[in-house]
Amino acid sequence: MTTLEGLAHGLAVALQPSILIYSLLGAVLGTLVGVLPGIGAMAAITLLLPITYYISSEAALVMLAAVYYGAQYGGAVASILLRLPGTPQSAVTTLDGYPMAQQGRAGVALFTAMISSFAGSMLGIVILVLLAGWLSRLATSFGAADYAAMMVMGLVAASTIGEGRMAKSLAMVVLGVILGCVGTDVNSGAQRFTFGQVQLLDGINLVALAMGLFGLAEIIGNIRKAERDGPPARVTLRQLVPTRDDLRRIVAPITRGTALGGFFGALPGTGSTISSFLSYALERRVARRPERFGKGAIEGVAGPEAANNAASITAFVPTLTLGIPGDPIMALMLGALVIHGIQPGPMMLQAHPDMFWGLVVSFGIGNLFLLVLNLPLIGIWVSMLRIPFHWLYPAIIIFVCLGVYSVRGSTFDIVMVAAIGAIGYALTQAAFSPALLLLGFVLGPLIETNLRRALLVSRGDPMIFLERPIACGFLVATLALLIYGLLKRSDRGSTSSKVAD
Amino acid sequence: MRRDLHDLGWGAALALTGLAVAGYAFASYDMGSLRRMGPGFFPVTLGLLLAGLGALIAVPAMGRPGRPRPFAWPETIAVVAALLVFGLALDRLGVLLTTALTVLIASAVAPRRGLGWRLVLTVAVTALVWLVFVRGLNMSLPVWPGALR
Repeated sequence: MTTLEGLAHGLAVALQPSILIYSLLGAVLGTLVGVLPGIGAMAAITLLLPITYYISSEAALVMLAAVYYGAQYGGAVASILLRLPGTPQSAVTTLDGYPMAQQGRAGVALFTAMISSFAGSMLGIVILVLLAGWLSRLATSFGAADYAAMMVMGLVAASTIGEGRMAKSLAMVVLGVILGCVGTDVNSGAQRFTFGQVQLLDGINLVALAMGLFGLAEIIGNIRKAERDGPPARVTLRQLVPTRDDLRRIVAPITRGTALGGFFGALPGTGSTISSFLSYALERRVARRPERFGKGAIEGVAGPEAANNAASITAFVPTLTLGIPGDPIMALMLGALVIHGIQPGPMMLQAHPDMFWGLVVSFGIGNLFLLVLNLPLIGIWVSMLRIPFHWLYPAIIIFVCLGVYSVRGSTFDIVMVAAIGAIGYALTQAAFSPALLLLGFVLGPLIETNLRRALLVSRGDPMIFLERPIACGFLVATLALLIYGLLKRSDRGSTSSKVAD
Repeated sequence: MRRDLHDLGWGAALALTGLAVAGYAFASYDMGSLRRMGPGFFPVTLGLLLAGLGALIAVPAMGRPGRPRPFAWPETIAVVAALLVFGLALDRLGVLLTTALTVLIASAVAPRRGLGWRLVLTVAVTALVWLVFVRGLNMSLPVWPGALR
């Protein structure tokens, strides 16, 4: 199937009324959770995951993906109006978006965020289509050793490029991989770490783990924090109109942000949060008057917003073509695909063209929905920000309980979510990343399978990892990342600590 | 001398977890050979790796001043208690009473005090659960005490 045929095929899938409705629903829900500080895309997707058991796999993935990129739009609203990032990806938007709002330019900042997000997503789709075909052709020559090495590189990349100290990040990844071992071993049938519990035979439930780590831990941390000083300013449609000077200023940052986000999104292990930080740093570096940044520079909103949306689209490249999720949200998407009996990987383009091309086209349609809806609806989103968190979180807790219960009617899983939630919150407070734990949990079993397979092929000779050029290349890159992580220390902390204040 | 107690504690805890995992897996599962890895091979390796990383976190923390990090104890306890109650009561009390109880427990630690708004919220959420999950989605749930569907 050529790209054009694929797109035509995808259009036929994505334009089905039921798919359109789920795309719209996902986009609106995503914006909503993005706007409301305290519930991220991660929590929203885990909450919706059980519901997707009841709908078709195309509709499910289209909806979950729409929640993901919809949250990027919504996240900017809270960042600009309240200096409270609705999602981690939009944290950097607070730096210049909030000063713009204080100067009475909230409307222009919101317009910039939305148009940049849209442009970033659309260009991201082009990159996705070009890269996915190429990568899936390349990936057919991958062997088990190459897969194992690539996944190890992805995990190490996520640990070293992200925030925080490397030892702590790597420890979370390893802990996640260990949790992934729980359950029946596929190769030998041995029950590992089940301690006689029947409920653990299938392993720890992905939904329970993600809901505990993200849903609950986020709620606990936000109950006190989310109380705000005052209601946000009102924004009218007229205020959204940018000046000619504004428009001239945002074109280049959008282009640069998209290129950056498109590239980093497609690499396994780096995600949209990192892309938005890098884009901000880049814009400040190329600016003629860098001192404007942090005081309401429109470029500081346009670049990162384009970058994080482009990255969230191209993040599907390694997930769909290699079966390797680059970030925890993609790990959940992978989980959702597997639940629906679809194994992502090099064969996916051929084996499930409906899914692949339908998803690609739905990205475009969903983003169009977001742009068309969100500009006029901005007043509604702003008024959403007035709902105090204490009205919301008890209801969210109920949704968490019912969502987990619905997966397999087990109250054991609810109790497990409670325990995981407490641990997840404690880990966050001690500056450990629960997101990396989830990434390790999803990739761990895949690494073990491929490792075993590779060693079986080589008759137990570990040199197979160095003799195959692809595997060796990934391992050299892993080593380079580890050295980079050791040298880095905390020099990148400057931008991120500013956001945290 | 001040110490980074957070990292020291967590590093030590992770190291001990790693050792426990490795030890348990080594004692209970077949290690196999490199050619045919047994079920114990991967967990033992990972446990040792985690032990090493835990030590890497804990050891430098001994000579480094730490920052006190706030921990929301009441919120943690209330949210965990709310879930435990939901999990333990669902089969006995049915989803509606359980929901009401859970919302009351969870909202006890909200920054806004008082019982009035919490009762309103409890009724609203319970009604929502009945409408969406019982009537709308027709989820298989025990609705009332002792009445399993």
